[in-house]
Amino acid sequence: MHDMRFAIPRQDINREDFASSIPDFNRKSEIMKTDKGYKCIITNIVRLTEQEKLFRLRIIDTRERNIFRFRPGQFLMLELPGYGDVPISISSSNSNHEFLELCIRKAGHVTSALFSVVEGTHVAIRGPFGSAFPMDEMTGNNVLLIAGGLGIAPLRAPLFWINEHRDRFFNVHMLYGAKDPEQLLFTYQFNEWKMINHITLHTIVEHSTAGWQGKTGIITDLFNDISFDQKMTYAIVCGPPVMFKFVCSYLDKAGIPMNRMFVSLERRMHCGMGKCCRCMVGSTFTCVDGPVFDYWSVMNLKEAI
Amino acid sequence: MKKQGFTFEKLKIASFDFTCCEGCQLQLTNKESTLTDFFELLDIRTFREISSEKYDDYDIALIEGSISRQDEVERLTTIRSQAKTLIAFGTCACFGGVNSLKNKFPLKEVVAEVYPDMPVETLLVRKVSDVVKVDLSIHGCPVNKEEVERILVNLVTGSQVSLPKYPVCVECKELLNTCLFELGEICLGPITRAGCNAVCTTGKTPCLGCRGPSEEINMPAFLELIKERKLSQNDFQEKITFYNAFEAFTSYEA
Amino acid sequence: MIYKIISKAEFKKFIDALVRDNTSFGPRRVDTDCRGEKVYQFLQVASFNDIAFDYTATASSAKHFFLPFCEELSRFVFHDQDWDQHITYETNPIVLIGLRACDISAINILDDVLLNGNFPSPYYLGKRKNTFVIGMDHLPLPDCFCKSMNHHTVQTGFNIFCSDIGEEYYLAVNSSKAFNFLKEFNTRDPLDEDNCRLVARRKLISNSFLSEVDVTGLPSILDIEFDSPVWEKWGNKCLNCGTCAMVCPTCYCYAVEESFETNLKGATRQKRLYSCNLVNFAEVAGGHNFRPKNGDRLKYRYYHQHRGFAENDNQQICVGCNRCGRACLTKINPKDVINDLRMEKESCMICASPSPDRT
Repeated sequence: MHDMRFAIPRQDINREDFASSIPDFNRKSEIMKTDKGYKCIITNIVRLTEQEKLFRLRIIDTRERNIFRFRPGQFLMLELPGYGDVPISISSSNSNHEFLELCIRKAGHVTSALFSVVEGTHVAIRGPFGSAFPMDEMTGNNVLLIAGGLGIAPLRAPLFWINEHRDRFFNVHMLYGAKDPEQLLFTYQFNEWKMINHITLHTIVEHSTAGWQGKTGIITDLFNDISFDQKMTYAIVCGPPVMFKFVCSYLDKAGIPMNRMFVSLERRMHCGMGKCCRCMVGSTFTCVDGPVFDYWSVMNLKEAI
Repeated sequence: MKKQGFTFEKLKIASFDFTCCEGCQLQLTNKESTLTDFFELLDIRTFREISSEKYDDYDIALIEGSISRQDEVERLTTIRSQAKTLIAFGTCACFGGVNSLKNKFPLKEVVAEVYPDMPVETLLVRKVSDVVKVDLSIHGCPVNKEEVERILVNLVTGSQVSLPKYPVCVECKELLNTCLFELGEICLGPITRAGCNAVCTTGKTPCLGCRGPSEEINMPAFLELIKERKLSQNDFQEKITFYNAFEAFTSYEA
Repeated sequence: MIYKIISKAEFKKFIDALVRDNTSFGPRRVDTDCRGEKVYQFLQVASFNDIAFDYTATASSAKHFFLPFCEELSRFVFHDQDWDQHITYETNPIVLIGLRACDISAINILDDVLLNGNFPSPYYLGKRKNTFVIGMDHLPLPDCFCKSMNHHTVQTGFNIFCSDIGEEYYLAVNSSKAFNFLKEFNTRDPLDEDNCRLVARRKLISNSFLSEVDVTGLPSILDIEFDSPVWEKWGNKCLNCGTCAMVCPTCYCYAVEESFETNLKGATRQKRLYSCNLVNFAEVAGGHNFRPKNGDRLKYRYYHQHRGFAENDNQQICVGCNRCGRACLTKINPKDVINDLRMEKESCMICASPSPDRT
C-alpha cells in the first residue's frame, strides 16, 4: 500500500463559505439549509368552494415560528412529502405569527393530493420568496384592490395590512369579480371588511345564479361605480392574465401612473430561488424579482401577460 | 398501508396477454432489489406468469399485446367492462408493435406463408386503443421495469402519473454517448419519447422508436436531417415503421 | 499566482501520482465519427496514459461534475404520521484534468450564478470545493468562438493551468494545495525565455481563431428583436431534443421531481437538468404552456445565454465553446443565429441575405 500523500482531503462546506452572499429579507432560511423546509402542521382546513380550500398552517418548532416573517405579496413553497412542492401565495396577515393561511385551488397533482389530506398532517414550507407589495409607499393614498377569481388569495395579505393600518389610507375600494356567485371566496369576511374596516366592496359575477342580488358582468364594469383621484391612488391587481390586461390598460387611461399599479404574476416554479429558471419571463425571474411587479416592469417583460 | 395521513390501498391488478411475446409481463418480475416491496403494493388477481390462481374482481388491467383475432376482441371487451383502469402495457398494446408488420402484406399471403396447410382465423393487427378505451399507456419494447414501478407507486399513492415528454436524446446525452448520427446511422432518438434510459443507443444500437413519438415532434426537420445527411431512405422507412409507433407520421417521405 | 516550469516527463509523474491517489477524470477518446474525426469525453482515468492530452474538445462539457444531470436534493423518511427530511451536501474529492480555458470560464460563470445572490447553492458548492482542476491550453477548433466571448484565456477558477511551451509546460499555480503537491516534483521558476515562449504560445492561440461572432450590443439587440422572424426560421429547424443544453458547459436550468420509494417508507426530491428547448419547460399546472412554439423556446435559450438574467447582472453566460452548435443535428449554432439576428437588425427583412453556411 502506498502512502496516498497526493490524496486531496475532503472539504465540507461551512457557513463561512457563504459569508459574502447577500443578506436579504427574502432569505430567512438558514443559508446552509436552503432546501430544508420548516415543518408545519395543518391545523385547520376550510372548504371555500368546489375548487378551493383554505389551509391554516402552524410552524411546529417555536424558534422557527419566531423567525419566520414575510411581507404581503410574498409566496412560499409548500411541500407535501412524496408528492412535491408548489408555490402558494400567503393569504394571511403578516403580523400574525401564530399561523399562516394559504388559499389553494385544486389545479395540479400536488394540490390535488393536498385536497385529500386531513387536519394534523405535517407538511413543509420553504421561503418566504419573492417581492412584496410596497405597502409603505402606498401610505397616505387611496388604494384600489382589484381581484379576479383566485386573485383574491394574494390580495388578502395586503388587505389585512391595510385593515391593520387603516388610518394610513384614505379611500380603499375593493373590486372583486368571479365567474359565478358560488366562486366568490371569503364571503364570510365581506361584512367585516365593509363595516369594521370601511373598505368599499364591489362584487360582480360573470354568470348570475338564482338568488344573486348583485351585479352581473365583467370586472371592468365596476369602474363605473367608483371614482378616484388618479394623482393619489395606488392599484393592486391580481387575477388571470387576461384580466390584468384589461384592468391595467383601463387604469392607465384613467391616469394612474404605471409604477403605481402592482400585479402578481404566476408561473411554473421549481425552486423559488432563481436557480431552476422555469419561471423566467424575458430575463426576469418571477420567483426572485416577482411575483409582485409594477405594471411598468410587466410592460417591459415580453410575453408576461 | 398508512402514510402521512393517507391510507393507501393495494392495487387489485390483473395482467392479460394478447398477441405478444409476454416479455413485458415478464419484466414485472424483474429488478429483484425491490421485488418484494413492489409486490407488496399489488393484490394480484390474475397473472399467468406468476400464479395459477385466477379471480375476476380487479380494478386495474394490464393489457399486453396487440389485437389480431376476433376472440381477442371479445376477451378485451369483457376485461374493459370489469376494469376501472385499463393500461396498454408495452409497445404492442400501445401501437401494434412488431406484429403490425403483418399489415404490410395481404392477409392471405401472410397466412399461406406462416401456416401453409392450416386454416387460421386472423385479423389485421390493431392497437388496444383501436378496440377499447385505454386509460393509461406504458410504452416500451419491453417496458422499463423502473418506470412501471414508478407508475404503479403513483397509482397507489394517488400521485400524478406522468411520462417524459422529451425525446431519448436527453437521456442519451446524460450518458455521454456519441450521437449515432455522427457514426453515420439513422437513430429515432430525437423523435422518440424518453424513459428507457437510452439503453439501445448506449449499446450503440440505433433507436427504433419503441416508445412512440415524444410530444410535438418536428418531423419535417427530422426528415430534412435524413436527407441532408444523405442517409438511406429505405433504412429510415424500415425503422420508422418497425413498431408502427409513428403511424400518424409515416405518410412523410424523407 | 505562482508560475513554474515542468518538463513533460516530470509532468507525467505528477499526473500519475495525482491519478493514483484520487478519483480522476480526463479527456478520453470514445469514438471516431463518420467523418473520421475523433470523439472525446471526460471520463474516469486510471493513469496518465489514459488521458488524451492531444484532444481537441470533448463532445459534452465538464459541468456534470458540478451539476449532475440527476441529483438527489433531499430525502424524506416517513414514520407513523410524521417525517424527517435528510439533506446531504457532502461529496468526495475528484481531480479534473485537461479542462480548456473556456471550460474553466464556464465553471466561473456557474460560480457566479449559483454561489452569489440570495440563495447560494450548497449542493454546487460542496462539489466545487472538492474538485481539483487542472487546465490545459489548446489551439482552437475552426468553429470555436470563445475569443469573441473573451473566454479564450482564464485567470481564476483552476488549481493549475498548463500552457504547452514545447518540451515543457508553463504552469500557473493557483492554490496552495497544488503548490504543495508540486514541491515533490522537479520544477523550476520561469526564466525570461520561458515567458517569451508563453507569450508566443498565447499569441499563436489567439491568432488561430477562425470563427468570430460579433456580440457587441447583443443584449440590446435581443431585446429589440423579440418578435423577429429569425426566431421562427431557426425554430422550424429545432427538434426540441434538448441536446444543446445537455452538452452546454453553462446551461443549469432544472426540473424538480418528487417520488415515493417503492416501499413507501420514504420519498426523494430529485433535481434533473432540463432544457428550455424541451416542450413542457414553461408549462404550468392546468396545462397552459407559456412557450408553445419551437421558436419561442429557442429564443429563450439565446436570451438566457446571451442576455443573461438579472441574477447574474445580465452577463452573457455563453463561453463560445460551440458544443451546442457541433452537437445540433439540424445545425442550429450560435454563430449563425446571432449573425442572422444582427443582419435582421441592421438591414430590413427583404434585403437580408440568407445566413452564412457553417464553417
